[in-house]
Amino acid sequence: MTTRDLFPGALEMMVLRLLKQQPMHGYALVQRIQQLSNELLQVEEGSLYPALQRLLRDGLVDAKWGVSSTNRRIRIYRLTPAGAKHLTQEVSSFERMLQGINLVLAVGKT
Amino acid sequence: MSCIDRLLRRRRVYDDLEDEIRAHLDERADELIARGMSSADAHAAARRAFGNVTSVQERAREMWEWPTVESFLIDARYAVRRVFGAPAVSIIIIVTLALGIAATATVFSWTRAVLLDAIPGARHANRVVALETTTASGGWTPTSWLDYVDFRRYTKSFDGIAAAYPTTLALGDESSTERRWGELVSANFFDVLQVRPALGSFFPSSAEDAEGARPTTVIGYALWQSRWHGDSSVIGSVVHINRYPFTVIGVAPPEFHGSMPGEEFQLWVPASMLSQIVPTGGWWLRDRGTRTFRVLARLAPNVALGTARADVEALATRMAAANGEKSRGMSARLMPLWQSHWGLQQELRTPLTILLGASALVLLIACANTASLLLARSLGRGRELAVRLALGAPRLRLVRQLLTETSLLAVAGSALGLIGAALLARSLRWLIPAFASPTLLAPRVDAGVLAFAVLLTFAVTIIAGLAPALHGARAGLVDSLRDGGRAGSGGRVAVRLRSVLVGAEMALAVMSVMGAAMFYESLRNTRALSPGFKSDGVAMATVSVTLSGYDSAHAQAFLSNVVDRVGREPAVSAVSYSDYVPLSVDDGSWEDLRVEGYAPQPNENMKLARAAIGPGYFGVLGIPLIDGRDFTAGDDSAHTAVMIVNEAFTRRFLASRAATGVRVHGWGRWFTIVGVARDSKIHRLTEPATPYFYVPVRQVYRPEDGYTFLARTSAESNQAARSIVRAVKALDPTVPAFDAMPLTDYIDGPMQLQRTNVQLLGILAAIALLLATIGLYGVIAYSVTQRTKEIGVRIALGAQRSDVLRVVARQAVVLLAAGLLIGLAGGGALSRILSSVLYGVGPGDVNVFAFATAGIIAITVLATGLPARRAMRVEPTTALRAD
Repeated sequence: MTTRDLFPGALEMMVLRLLKQQPMHGYALVQRIQQLSNELLQVEEGSLYPALQRLLRDGLVDAKWGVSSTNRRIRIYRLTPAGAKHLTQEVSSFERMLQGINLVLAVGKT
Repeated sequence: MSCIDRLLRRRRVYDDLEDEIRAHLDERADELIARGMSSADAHAAARRAFGNVTSVQERAREMWEWPTVESFLIDARYAVRRVFGAPAVSIIIIVTLALGIAATATVFSWTRAVLLDAIPGARHANRVVALETTTASGGWTPTSWLDYVDFRRYTKSFDGIAAAYPTTLALGDESSTERRWGELVSANFFDVLQVRPALGSFFPSSAEDAEGARPTTVIGYALWQSRWHGDSSVIGSVVHINRYPFTVIGVAPPEFHGSMPGEEFQLWVPASMLSQIVPTGGWWLRDRGTRTFRVLARLAPNVALGTARADVEALATRMAAANGEKSRGMSARLMPLWQSHWGLQQELRTPLTILLGASALVLLIACANTASLLLARSLGRGRELAVRLALGAPRLRLVRQLLTETSLLAVAGSALGLIGAALLARSLRWLIPAFASPTLLAPRVDAGVLAFAVLLTFAVTIIAGLAPALHGARAGLVDSLRDGGRAGSGGRVAVRLRSVLVGAEMALAVMSVMGAAMFYESLRNTRALSPGFKSDGVAMATVSVTLSGYDSAHAQAFLSNVVDRVGREPAVSAVSYSDYVPLSVDDGSWEDLRVEGYAPQPNENMKLARAAIGPGYFGVLGIPLIDGRDFTAGDDSAHTAVMIVNEAFTRRFLASRAATGVRVHGWGRWFTIVGVARDSKIHRLTEPATPYFYVPVRQVYRPEDGYTFLARTSAESNQAARSIVRAVKALDPTVPAFDAMPLTDYIDGPMQLQRTNVQLLGILAAIALLLATIGLYGVIAYSVTQRTKEIGVRIALGAQRSDVLRVVARQAVVLLAAGLLIGLAGGGALSRILSSVLYGVGPGDVNVFAFATAGIIAITVLATGLPARRAMRVEPTTALRAD
């Protein structure tokens, strides 16, 4: 499966979810997504940045330059209250959709 | 974050983004190095994993662009560079678009001035509609005052209904009289039109006044400026109109020129003063059968035209039943002002529509030309576009960029075209017979026209730009790089597309040439018709005796005296007068007749056009009397009423009976036919023979239309016309004389409209041909350039120059054949649509087809000649070495 198969907004949703757990920078986000998805999702690293810019623009996250534990200059993203709220909505609507799709796919199965 | 905030902070955002991505790549590379990869490999691998950096950056930046203004500006900057990069092509595109847009916008400004902006100065003029009376036979007639009063009283759909009677008025006292067009109006006229006075006030509109009770007048702004030099003390002063004193109470606003499109009225008098203005006028207010008024109604809020129409028609039906004899079978119609029969728009509607169509055709050709040229250009840059696509430029962005370029050209073309339109707008006067009536001849190029041009620009951008843009944006990298920028597979598609466009251009050009040719033929056929009278060597001049308040006896004496005086001029052989000049712009008057021994069909229209004439009229015009006698000075009110009819009259009403001696009833009494005149054209050269009759002015005195003196002279006609004016002035200096000219000039006036129409259509057709030539030349020249090597090989292998010519010509001939066939088919369809406005030009007119075919063949030869010459001169050695 490649990133192109992600539906619009999926990457954003995952990013928000990860940032809810803890603030982190872009590179770490890529690593986490691959790791947590058992490498099922191969996010093309680059495509993360337009998504992050969109979230920044919409005020769902904010970003600050900082220094990592390995003394590297990194830009750390943090979930804003608006982002948290947005995430809740997105997740619940996604789950409803998934449920619906599953019901349809289950047709004829016993 | 606000938009402005975002704009200001964007630089920062972009820098951050760049830093961040670099950090990302470094981190990945460091990790790979830590795993033992070489530094160079690690960096390369990091980039691979990341994807296209530029593309990512661009996509990320797009998040911040607000509302794509920035990317538009970049596109525009780029487009400007491109446009200036190929100045010749750009100039051709801009000029051709400008031609198309200038033509279309000019005709639009005319159309708007004449048809759409009927009553400038009136507020919410789109709620004002025309109410017209229709006759039993479905024709149109003015409305009588009593009918108008009923409409006003018994309809519910209107805020108000006003009436107006247009006429010429003599303004001033005996020392200085000037002739002005004015309207006698219902008291509520200005209220219904919602016009605000520039000065003073308008007529109180609560109720109509008693006859003769309100000698007041409103003057036009232009008249106020010219006669009173804008002096505000004019309010309250007394002026003489047709020798009767009126008090000036108000000045109309500058833009207001009365109730009729294209005609300029400068005086308004209450209709209740009709008796004081026209000696026979008081009667008009009391007789339901005297139909003289134009009726305008303002729809009440929220009332649709359809509802109001039903209201009016229901009432008209009741009125027709209630008023018996006078209104039998009559009805009324409600229509938008531009459909109304009053005013110049009636004459101009058809020519303007045709011109609008023709100029739209030219614009369409210009669009096709532009598309073709842009395609050619996009071929030249196929490689550049392909490389940019490969480097990650989004296709949509490329399409937008190419469209921006087209729109830039279109905007430049429109701007130039608008300047042209502003200069050309005033030339509307070319279309209008000079003496038809004083006319407002300054259509404005204003916000409306501007909006129209903007709309055109959008349309042009889409029509001309979309195909090249879409084509450009799908250029394949491999193709384009492989064949070194020459027409690869994408290029072939573009070449085919260009051929289609040029074929279409040629077809459209054929159609516009055919259109122009049809109108030319129609005009030629019309002019070849004989009017049935001899206008050569006849001078004319018109007087208005009502303006000087003459009664019948006074007027008769005056008319005879002028005839005597002019008849004494040595070169003049015969003089007479009439209240209607044949082939005038207007249609003259008619009378409801009963013919003894003829039983009309129910609903048969017995209203016949007529002329009141003086003795000797037939002699002056050379119309033979085929039976009976001419009128004499003895046919006056003291003797039996007499009438002369034309042949068509006898054919229709008298069948095989002898005409002389038959009695005909009109004007409330019986006339005896004393003569039969040969048929001659009355209103139009193209009309079939129409029943018509003549009565002596001495027995039927209707001075409203004025009297025209006609003098046959062996000298120069202008000189005789001047001698008529001199005679009039000598006898009574207060009688205004006008339209002094040779009769040939006068009856040629209505033809001027047709003639100008043909000329303008001819110009548009020439432009269409020119554009098609440019388009065809472009395609042929391009293909010769592309095939230089091939031609070189052919010649090297022994092909003759004539073979080369055949190769080049084949392409031109295919385009010619396709364009000609489609164009002729389209033109044929066009002629069927236009057949009602053409005279003697049927679908399949040989001359028209021949003309269009010759035109298009000529431009094909012209456009192919140069490239073909170049192809024949190709030197094989040079051609093969090139590249």
